Amino acid sequence: MAPTQFAGDLMNEIVGATPGSTLAALRAQRPEILRHSQGSYDVLLTPADPGGLTLAERALVARRVAELSGHAALTAHYQALLAGRAEPPADTRRDAILAHAELLATAPGGATKAHLAALEAVGLSARDIVALAQLVAFVAYQVRAAIGLSLLAQEKAA
Amino acid sequence: MSGGKFTLEAVEWDPWLPPVEAATATPAQRAALEASPQANSPYFRTLAHDVDSLAERSPLFHSVMYVPRGLKRAERELATVVVSIINGCVYCSSVHARRFVELTKQPEVIRALYDHGLDTPLPPRLRAIVDYAAKLTRAPAAMTVADLKPLREVGMDDLEILDLTNAAAMFANANRLMQTLGEPIPPEGQR
Repeated sequence: MAPTQFAGDLMNEIVGATPGSTLAALRAQRPEILRHSQGSYDVLLTPADPGGLTLAERALVARRVAELSGHAALTAHYQALLAGRAEPPADTRRDAILAHAELLATAPGGATKAHLAALEAVGLSARDIVALAQLVAFVAYQVRAAIGLSLLAQEKAA
Repeated sequence: MSGGKFTLEAVEWDPWLPPVEAATATPAQRAALEASPQANSPYFRTLAHDVDSLAERSPLFHSVMYVPRGLKRAERELATVVVSIINGCVYCSSVHARRFVELTKQPEVIRALYDHGLDTPLPPRLRAIVDYAAKLTRAPAAMTVADLKPLREVGMDDLEILDLTNAAAMFANANRLMQTLGEPIPPEGQR
């Protein structure tokens, strides 16, 4: 049931911007933003080569960040994505990755060089650490972009 | 907010991971760096470790900040400064505060935000922008349609609100990269 790859535009799906709607037409005025928001999602959540940050770990991190941000629809989306992948085992690696994701999501000013060493200690390479930061940063962006669009949709429906 | 000193002076950035070096960069890394705002900066060379995400993010960032029509560039810059102040990103706020001042010749707006906080008195349109960007940063899930009303009252249309949303959201992103992969080096006088 869970899609392993999202075909189409996830943001339109999340905010209910159906084809022909005012909201879809508004978003279409910013085609590069549409294209590279979806492109960022694709390369971070469904990369052809995930390197040392597995597809399941990516879905797990995205779900946690969406959940911490209080976005139910995106949390459900990432939960479905995770359900289609083998859930990462409960171990020190998973704990370290989630702890870092939570720090970046809730208190990015609190990160230090020592936090990156903790990720290296559980096997993450420089590329994996950058991918993890990009992933958390992307979901932080995605949640807020989705909320702004939802407000515009609700205003029109009122 | 973290303890850094917000400034209108230029700030440098020191990476916590060894950045990709031009001599050993792959063709894909070189291409992604060339498409970034500053190919040689330690920040973009650090992001180049994960080349595919950099290659998507640079054009996304560029469109959010510079795409024509809609919200004025200076007002997008203001939103990013507000987000960066809340998240404590000294580097980001320095860069984008200077862009705001270049565009508006109004350093007093930035000084008021730096010195007196986000509640400092501002003209109504700037007040509405600051409040929207601040709430989207701090409490996105608590936002309601009522948060659009102050923007409508100062005359914003849908496209302007979309652009404001995207600018503030982009800096939820930028601040998280900048603050968790390295740290700012304060300007000369403050070291």
